[in-house]
Amino acid sequence: MNSDVKPTETLDVRGEVCPYPDVKTQKKVKKMKSGEILEVLLDYPLSAERMPRSIEKMGHEILKTEKTGTGEWRILIKIK
Amino acid sequence: MNSAFRDIILMKEYTLLKAVALAIVVQMIGFHLMATMGYIQLNPKTFYWGAMIFGGFIFGIGMVLAAGCASGTTYRVGEGMMGSFVALLGLMIGGLVTSGGALIDLKSYLQPTEGALKAITTTDLGVDPGDLLREGNANLTLANVFGLDPWIFVVIIAIILLAILIWKRGGEETKTEGTTYEKIFKMGWNWWLTGIAIGIVGIIAFLAFKKYALGISGGWFSFLDALITGDPEKLNWFTFLVIGVVIGAAIAAGIAGEFKLRAPNARRLLQQFIGGLVMGIGAVIGTACNIGHILSGVPQLALSSILGGMFIVLGCWVAAYIMFMRG
Repeated sequence: MNSDVKPTETLDVRGEVCPYPDVKTQKKVKKMKSGEILEVLLDYPLSAERMPRSIEKMGHEILKTEKTGTGEWRILIKIK
Repeated sequence: MNSAFRDIILMKEYTLLKAVALAIVVQMIGFHLMATMGYIQLNPKTFYWGAMIFGGFIFGIGMVLAAGCASGTTYRVGEGMMGSFVALLGLMIGGLVTSGGALIDLKSYLQPTEGALKAITTTDLGVDPGDLLREGNANLTLANVFGLDPWIFVVIIAIILLAILIWKRGGEETKTEGTTYEKIFKMGWNWWLTGIAIGIVGIIAFLAFKKYALGISGGWFSFLDALITGDPEKLNWFTFLVIGVVIGAAIAAGIAGEFKLRAPNARRLLQQFIGGLVMGIGAVIGTACNIGHILSGVPQLALSSILGGMFIVLGCWVAAYIMFMRG
């Protein structure tokens, strides 16, 4: 994983299909404090593509989107 | 397509909706061109208003519960998602229960064999008026209700939709990096490319099948029907279409490195099964799913599909609001 940023919290939505990964991430992000890092683990392709976009629209920063395996992604979000 | 409508209220995301609108325009022009040239006969569905309203509405609710409409569920099965597989089982069962089982009375009540509204003129449907059709035997379309040439509506609707699409074109970034191979198989497509592609697929489907363009739920109903009765005659164009979608999605997911067998938790599985069941009932009562209505029926200007499609979207919004937006 050799990531220099340490996530404050992790949200594991693997197994969930659209729109749950997106909705759960949005809800989680709203509860977190500014500057905190949220790590989201998901395995739904469409959400991996679209969730970062909607999170960016909310004003948060996507630090990293990485593919961690077959159909699995890890996304790091920095709360604004 | 569930996402296309759900995300309008859920995330203010219009990208998928634009693709759907463009596909409708492409098909509307294509269908009417082919009908005018005599290659196909348009086949708008019968206008059972009660069935369209009720069936459409519960179908819309079902597709949010199932986390995908009939087509979304179908291709997700190909991508290895067991939640969608369970939803698909529900869809097939709900459909057969309604078309020939315990719920058949509800269906016959909402789809009366007599008294459905029909149009008096038939010539503008692209059918030969001398052919078996009597006066007052044509299914309603925007054109024959007003007794006008369908091309008037085709041109007006196409201009309005295209104007809106061009006006609202900005907003989402286009990904340009990557090889052509990567762009086709690994990344999401541009909405306009998707819209045109779907439109062309619909036109080819209508040309090949002659009776209708695309439909998903009907294919699954006849698939289970054929399995239960052992009668291969039950298999139809739509059955091969849906099997093709599953195989195609599996291949595409494999190439993109996204194929994986996966399942949500037990509660979500149950929710998706119930969603599928409700969709199956709604699709049989409303005579089509969102693909059959919105993607294939609306371009034929069928009133049945316009009404059914509106209530599918309404049901979807109500369910999405209740499930995701409160609290």
